[in-house]
Amino acid sequence: MEAQEKPSILECMDIWKVFGNNAQSLLSELGPNPDDNAFARHKLIAGVRGVSLKVRKGEIFVIMGLSGSGKSTLVRCMTGLHALTAGHMLIDGLDLAQLSDADLVHLRRRKISMVFQDFALLPHLTVLGNVAFPLRVQGIGRQAREDTALRMIELVGLKGRESYYPDELSGGQQQRVGIARSLTTQPDVWFLDEPFSALDPLIRRDMQTEFLRLQSMLTKTIVFITHDFDEAVRLADRMAVMKDGRIVQIGRPEDLILSPADEYIENFTRNIPKNKVLRVRSIMDARTAPNNDVALPAEACLCDVAERVITGKGHHPVVDAEGTVVGALHRSDLAQYLV
Amino acid sequence: MSLADTLPSPRPSLRSAVLLAVALLAVSLSFLSRENPLVVFPRAWEVDLATPLGETMTFLARDFRIGPVQFSTVTRAIGWLISQPFELLAGVMAEGFSHYRIDAPTIYVPPLPWLGITSVFCLTAWWFGSVPLALWTGGCFFAFAVFGLWESAMLTLASVLIAVIVGSIGGIGLGILGYRSRRFNAALQPVYDILQTLPLFSYLVPMILFFGFGPVAALMATIVFALPPMARVTTEALRSLPRSVSEFGTIAGCSPFQLTWLVRIPAARQKLLLGVNQVIMLSLAVVIVASLIGAGGLGGDVLSALKSMRIGDAVAAGLAITLIAITIDRLSYAVAMQRREHGRADLPWHRRRAFGLSCTALVVASIAISPLAPAVHTWPEALTVSLGRYGNGVVQWIGTHFDAQISWLRDTALIVFLKPTKTFFLSVPWAGFVLVVATLGWILGGWRLALLGATVFLAIAVLGYWKKAMISLYLVALSVGSAMFIGTMLGVWAGLSNRAARVLIAVVDVLQTLPTFVYLIPVVMLFSIGDVPAFLAIVLYAIAPAIRYTCAGVRGVPQALIEGARMSGCDNRQLVTHVKIPLALPTILLGLNQVIMMAFGMLVITALVGSRGLEEVTLVAVARVAPGDGLLAGLAIAGMAIVCDRYVKALNRVIAYHLGLSVPR
Repeated sequence: MEAQEKPSILECMDIWKVFGNNAQSLLSELGPNPDDNAFARHKLIAGVRGVSLKVRKGEIFVIMGLSGSGKSTLVRCMTGLHALTAGHMLIDGLDLAQLSDADLVHLRRRKISMVFQDFALLPHLTVLGNVAFPLRVQGIGRQAREDTALRMIELVGLKGRESYYPDELSGGQQQRVGIARSLTTQPDVWFLDEPFSALDPLIRRDMQTEFLRLQSMLTKTIVFITHDFDEAVRLADRMAVMKDGRIVQIGRPEDLILSPADEYIENFTRNIPKNKVLRVRSIMDARTAPNNDVALPAEACLCDVAERVITGKGHHPVVDAEGTVVGALHRSDLAQYLV
Repeated sequence: MSLADTLPSPRPSLRSAVLLAVALLAVSLSFLSRENPLVVFPRAWEVDLATPLGETMTFLARDFRIGPVQFSTVTRAIGWLISQPFELLAGVMAEGFSHYRIDAPTIYVPPLPWLGITSVFCLTAWWFGSVPLALWTGGCFFAFAVFGLWESAMLTLASVLIAVIVGSIGGIGLGILGYRSRRFNAALQPVYDILQTLPLFSYLVPMILFFGFGPVAALMATIVFALPPMARVTTEALRSLPRSVSEFGTIAGCSPFQLTWLVRIPAARQKLLLGVNQVIMLSLAVVIVASLIGAGGLGGDVLSALKSMRIGDAVAAGLAITLIAITIDRLSYAVAMQRREHGRADLPWHRRRAFGLSCTALVVASIAISPLAPAVHTWPEALTVSLGRYGNGVVQWIGTHFDAQISWLRDTALIVFLKPTKTFFLSVPWAGFVLVVATLGWILGGWRLALLGATVFLAIAVLGYWKKAMISLYLVALSVGSAMFIGTMLGVWAGLSNRAARVLIAVVDVLQTLPTFVYLIPVVMLFSIGDVPAFLAIVLYAIAPAIRYTCAGVRGVPQALIEGARMSGCDNRQLVTHVKIPLALPTILLGLNQVIMMAFGMLVITALVGSRGLEEVTLVAVARVAPGDGLLAGLAIAGMAIVCDRYVKALNRVIAYHLGLSVPR
């Protein structure tokens, strides 16, 4: 709940991105909420339709959607790679559309960075050259930028590979380079566009762990794009699910699982092992008084307390970080989440 | 968008009605007498555009001024600019430098020793390629020295080098502009098309006018010829970069300049280098032909030998061209494909610079030894073997012993194939021809294509080139037919048998490396001059893509389809006839397109061995410095080539559509 108190650093205000000739003027003619037919009639393709969201400082915000849902387009709108057709995109209070080219370049050099699905490493540069590249375009001297780059390379666990070329590395290693490169400028906001989708499942799992480790050290504001619901649930503080260019639901992973907005979301949540996502706090009964003395932490995962609850009798007390009792949990409350 | 949307063909019922009408009309036209204006294009309808065009160009070259600046001053300045690096390189590699003084002995600085140059090339081949490539390179350069072709070979190499450097820089610049602006690129495409199909000789005349007879004009012609492919490769290479590479550059905060030169161009470097490899081969082909306007070098050797019918000498110089072509092709390919490996940055500086240092050391050493051992500098005259003398002997021997067989072959080809086809093309009424071309275009690709075809041929008639154009067309049609017939059969064979593929593809690789000019030498040696050697040269040159594409098409049939056909009970023969060949058809047609383009490319050169079509007009124009005729006849050939290209591409789309395949690119 602490996240809610933090100020937002990114804000999308009714963002529209429509591709096609004269998209801007046609969109304003079509009225506030044009349907598919209206777009088809004017040979327009709608990538993002009226998306509004806020990303708070220091949180991992995951945008999840299947291919063609508009998530990649949305992140390109957020970084200014695409000009918006309508709406406003604020980064740290600055409206991207209002910025001059020079200010935009400055913003990109200092405040944001991005990791790409296909790594986007420069084939002619070594690992060191790639990681130091963002500093090089800022005109920072060789010694200084290579010192920083070496620290980043060490951070992602590639020490000793500095002089390798990208095509000499495995996919996982290449993405580590991509991650190191995006961190050299010490950005405030870190965009990751399906960073692990091109990797094998086992490596993907490792990289997710690695990513969480990095974030625990760096605490950046993160916008993470994925098409994998499991990945989203595992990494997200909050997440948004997109479909056909719109956002279907925004919330904590638990919120989506406990109260899916519609059937579309439910389809995703059905196969998620709920006991690994849900916390005691979200399923406890706050009104009943506990009647045994095996206390459960409110922020613990269901799977971690399941054994105690099942073998115990009656209502267990649920306590928060300070030790105050905030509710109770009976094994019958748990049963439906253990499948 | 479904495939059907991309086919602008008319409705079937309408199509058959029009077809019938056109066929009837065309047939009835052929019954008209030759006096009818619809059969032979009347003189009175012709328009003389060549004279005013020639006058305009001469005016441009001689008297045109922009304000106080005379246009010829500008061209002369450009020529001077190009000639400086060329003369430097030619001096270093081939001719040395002479400084004349009135009252003192001439100072002469000799060129680099042959052993020095050879060892540098060997080292390059070994460094970027392999030991066999180094041995091959050394062998070739040694051969140039032994056979007394050293200076010519080096002169040719120097011309190619300069043309490639200037052409690549200009091409990359244009390519970047084309990448940045879609509109600019679209506007350039037809210009590139024309520049790439315009016969070489047509380039030469304006170059003579603007830059005077000599190596500089030849170089300029080469550069202009090499620009479009490099520009196209550059635009294509930049377009094919993953989108994320540019996005990364933007997010990293690159300025537009940084984005182009630090991100995009280096990231596309491999494709660009492969483009440079193409440009090298093109430049070589052109530099050789440009000997007609005084480029000198090996092309000049071949030309002067052919003029005085010293076929043996021509063969020797032709062989040297072949060797140079293969060597620099493999060498530049090796450089382009070089893969970077880690660890180099950790080495001490003299090991990181080992290549440059060793090259310098080899050159310095060879210069230092030269005074002590002159053979290191210049291959001794006494040890020079004249391949030409033996060659002349061999040619004479063939002439005396196989004269009857060769004549029989030539006469049969003439009487059975060439003469009847030629007569047919010449007797077709022009109006009927234009009508059929237009109808065909309409059926294959809609009214735009029809308009293009009709306009080109109508323009040819109006300009008074009809007869010449038909002679060119007959030669191309017959050669393309033969090349496709033989080539597809060989290609299917190579597609089915691994052993055949190995041999044939190796042969095709060499065939595609050779400059057009080289093909003329053996055919002239055997068949003297005329339509038969021209025909053979075109077939030989144009057969390579027929083999390559057919083989690729047959081999490219998906394994799943073959297994499916086998499980449905196809035997081996049915598998080939029902599955492999039909599915390879679009690819084979892609090959046909290449064959036609190459046939046109060779056609223009065959003017040198006495073919009599439009290409002859362009060649005569060079000799007479008649820019109007040269350019118009050249444009007519380019127009016909472009029409053929568009028609075959349209045909390919139609066939692929009916086979339910995606259109190959």
